[in-house]
Amino acid sequence: MNWFYSTIQAILNGLLTGALYGLIAMGMALIFGVMRIVNFAHGAFLMLGMYATYVLFQTTGISPYYSFPLAGAVLFVIGYATYMGLLRPIRGQVDFMVILLTMGLALIITDGVQLIFGADYHQINIPLLSKNIRIGSQISINAPWLVSFAIAAVLAVALYFVVTHTMFGRAARAIAQNRYAAPLMGINVNRVQAISFGIGSAAAGIAGALLLPVFYLFPEVGNQFKLKSFVMVVLGGMGSIQGAAIAGLVLGVVESLTSLYWGNEWALAVDFVIFILVLSLKPSGIFGSQRA
Amino acid sequence: MKRWYFILAGIFFLLALLVPLVVESDYTLQILFRVFLFAAMGLAWNLVGGYTGQLSLGHAAYFGVGAYSLALFSKAGVSPWVSVLLGMALAVISAAVIGSVSFRLRGPYFALCTIAFAEVLRLTAKNLPNLTGGDVGVQVPLLFPHSSTKAFYISGVLLTLIVLALTAWIEHSRFGYYLLAIREDQDAALAVGVNTARYKLWILLISAALTAIGGALYSSLFLYIVPDQVLAMEISTEIAIVAMLGGAGTLIGPLVGSITLETASEIFKNFFKEANLLIYGVLIVVVVLFLPEGIVGTIANKLRLFKAAPTAPFATPEPPDPEEEAQRAVISE
Amino acid sequence: MKRFYLLFPCVLAMLIVWAGCHGGEGNTIKIGVVTSLTGKQAAFGQAHKNGYTIALDEINAKGGLLGKKVELDYYDDQSKPDQAVQGVSKLVDQDHVTIILGAYSSESTRAIVPVVTQKKIPLIIPTAVADNVVETGSPWVFRICAGAESFAAATLDFLKNNGDPKTLAIVSENTNFGQANSKSMTEAAKAAGLDLVDSESYQDSSPDYKSLLQRVKNKNPEVVYFASYLLDASTLMRQAEQVRLNPKYYTSAGTGFAAAEFPTPDKGAGKYAEYTFSVSQWLPSAKWKGSAEFDEKFFKLTGAHPAYHAIEAYAALVVAAAAIDGAKSAQSQALRDTLRQINLAETPFGPVKFDSRGQNLHPVLVTQVQEGKYKVVWPLDAAETKPIIPTPEWSKRQ
Repeated sequence: MNWFYSTIQAILNGLLTGALYGLIAMGMALIFGVMRIVNFAHGAFLMLGMYATYVLFQTTGISPYYSFPLAGAVLFVIGYATYMGLLRPIRGQVDFMVILLTMGLALIITDGVQLIFGADYHQINIPLLSKNIRIGSQISINAPWLVSFAIAAVLAVALYFVVTHTMFGRAARAIAQNRYAAPLMGINVNRVQAISFGIGSAAAGIAGALLLPVFYLFPEVGNQFKLKSFVMVVLGGMGSIQGAAIAGLVLGVVESLTSLYWGNEWALAVDFVIFILVLSLKPSGIFGSQRA
Repeated sequence: MKRWYFILAGIFFLLALLVPLVVESDYTLQILFRVFLFAAMGLAWNLVGGYTGQLSLGHAAYFGVGAYSLALFSKAGVSPWVSVLLGMALAVISAAVIGSVSFRLRGPYFALCTIAFAEVLRLTAKNLPNLTGGDVGVQVPLLFPHSSTKAFYISGVLLTLIVLALTAWIEHSRFGYYLLAIREDQDAALAVGVNTARYKLWILLISAALTAIGGALYSSLFLYIVPDQVLAMEISTEIAIVAMLGGAGTLIGPLVGSITLETASEIFKNFFKEANLLIYGVLIVVVVLFLPEGIVGTIANKLRLFKAAPTAPFATPEPPDPEEEAQRAVISE
Repeated sequence: MKRFYLLFPCVLAMLIVWAGCHGGEGNTIKIGVVTSLTGKQAAFGQAHKNGYTIALDEINAKGGLLGKKVELDYYDDQSKPDQAVQGVSKLVDQDHVTIILGAYSSESTRAIVPVVTQKKIPLIIPTAVADNVVETGSPWVFRICAGAESFAAATLDFLKNNGDPKTLAIVSENTNFGQANSKSMTEAAKAAGLDLVDSESYQDSSPDYKSLLQRVKNKNPEVVYFASYLLDASTLMRQAEQVRLNPKYYTSAGTGFAAAEFPTPDKGAGKYAEYTFSVSQWLPSAKWKGSAEFDEKFFKLTGAHPAYHAIEAYAALVVAAAAIDGAKSAQSQALRDTLRQINLAETPFGPVKFDSRGQNLHPVLVTQVQEGKYKVVWPLDAAETKPIIPTPEWSKRQ
């Protein structure tokens, strides 16, 4: 049949999905870049963003495509508080104790949500969901994905702008470059790090909000995105925000093409294989410039 | 080592071995088996994670290789214990592959790489049902003919004893000092002539072989395995958590960690029912906040029982690595 | 001195041991239940629990069994097979139950078959559909629900008598449920002479299945057979429309495609579910005595309509109670012997009678979603209406 059009469609689908992936990864990349923390609760934060948006939708009917900033705000606060309350006290510790703490946090959040909301799945239905844009007879784009692509793209550019052109961004980059010299330059390291953690978590929360209409909600929903984020952050070059965003798009396309040519069940495995290949051949990632 | 350490250890293990004389309940024996099995797994992990400072979050790969080797080779007609040996060999080969790729990386990169390898193995096992039974699962033969939980419990205790003895021996050998040097400052170790690549690999091979035995034992007790059970990231994290919370880099940390965590987990499950995971998460967070070097590490530090480097776990943050710092630049140059 | 702090966790361990020797007696009848109250299958474990609760209340309202009140002793297997095995040990060795119901998933259930056999405790299985669960030859296993084999057989039977299509594609999730059903259908289709043109396996809970559906479309099958849970079922049907996949028949192994919410727009696939066929073990509208009442009670308890998992759990407890009543004893061997002979003509889940493997010969129906409702279309003696064949193309539907 027409593998040509199928491939084009798969690439398109991959880009649309990849935009969301990229947004999630950008959040994690920011956190890792500034603080060198691998946040195992990132998926849980995404899930919280989804639940917040869901509750808002159920009570007020506001579409996630309008209410996503709220999810971002909520997760910013949660992220900031998490950093200040839990991560800052153990900052001197070894990497893996920090990872361990984020794992414990993820358990608490996930089980907590299950206790409150139940383990049952939830879904929302908005009219936009059934709108498809057709190009010719072979290609179709599902409208909600296009909207989330647009929003994610705008946010990515905004984040890039914040990091490159604001005082905060400069401070964050300074800390990333040299954690010990930064305070000597008058940077309030704690506050900048907390804000970075907040922004990174907000990105996850917003991604959750955008994901809600096209996916479904359950306490463990964040897990798959967390693992993929690790892959993307490394792929893009540790700590590079634009790298993570591009890696997101790449991953989306790779998964989609793998599904088309090999089988959907292998998509995740291919993600990891690429991850391993990049780490062996160019550990600094696509956008990294040095050797590891 | 001081003589009375041996005596205390001897008494502990002797008591442990005598437990089956008193306890009849299969359930209790299964819990205790789990405690000792994860103690052994934690101790094996500790060799790589605690002493050498390489945070592996993919040990489930070796666990699963051991389990699946037992299941699949026996299905093909090989005797169960030979299958276990084959499992160890396969785990060593896997470790060689995984290590040669992952050890070129440091810190979190290494950890993520190990996760990736374990996940690839899990997904492969899941997606090839004709080979591995897929998610429908595969039967595992009994290693102890009379299906006695007591026999499994004893094997768990013996495995723990063996790994503990091995750890103690390594700790006081030159090899052990090389590992500690790698943990504390890999570049300095390299600069003074320690062959870091070789030793990291060797310790991983040893750790993998031991973990594979654990995987085989565990699967044989439950007689049936699926990939999401023995190759899951949850196994990797449980092994690592047991060691880290107990005290990575200490000799008996993983043992203490396993006893505490496994019994706590079972108690929570029975008391808190649906909230048990939440309480477990709280336990982890509390221990990290208040016992930053793990249970054994913190207590030992407080009581100043250990001399400086050899057994004291990490107390100082790693010095900044200029190359890595530059690479972490949020906007790459 | 150094080891003194080993005492603390040792004390903890001793507590466990002590607790282990502490059995429970009393004048209640305890029935053991293993199910997934937490973990990724928690939603279904909850459905089980609700079904069990309704049955329990009914039994105790009638005075309990053997003159005693009935109690359920739950163990949460956290959606893990090894925990399920541990649970059986606890329930039997520590709590001294004499019969067990459960588990939820096929892999957990298969995992506990050896241990219930070894401990000689009868096991009543409510929902696990994989065939290997009843193929071990154990005389202690009894399954209430129909299995994957029956699903495939019922579907093929329906197809043969309603158009007799020749080409088939199977789309299943790469979990136990999906793989078991895929295997059953593959074998059955081959035996029935159909041509399996494509077999796709997918990672469950993925956001995007369009490439997979495109692959299926490229092979042009007349029939597509899905083995999916509700959410993937909804995603698949929505995306099938986007991809314009138009087989003559959309069929399925129940579960997601038979869920109460599946035809609803808010929690399911809405209009995209229309015309899909599914095997069905039970509907709230089923003609069995007590079905409608169960539906009502469940709705009152939870605010939602029950899926078949809940009624299967309910039925399992009802059967267990009937066995205890019939044997006039709660002793395991007596219960097992009674179960082998049991012949309940009427339960809200239909008649219950186990064959030599312990499989209940539960009738499997085929339904089709018509105007947002499930309508039984096969077999003819149970059919409410005629099936609409072939399935109208997506572009021609409103």
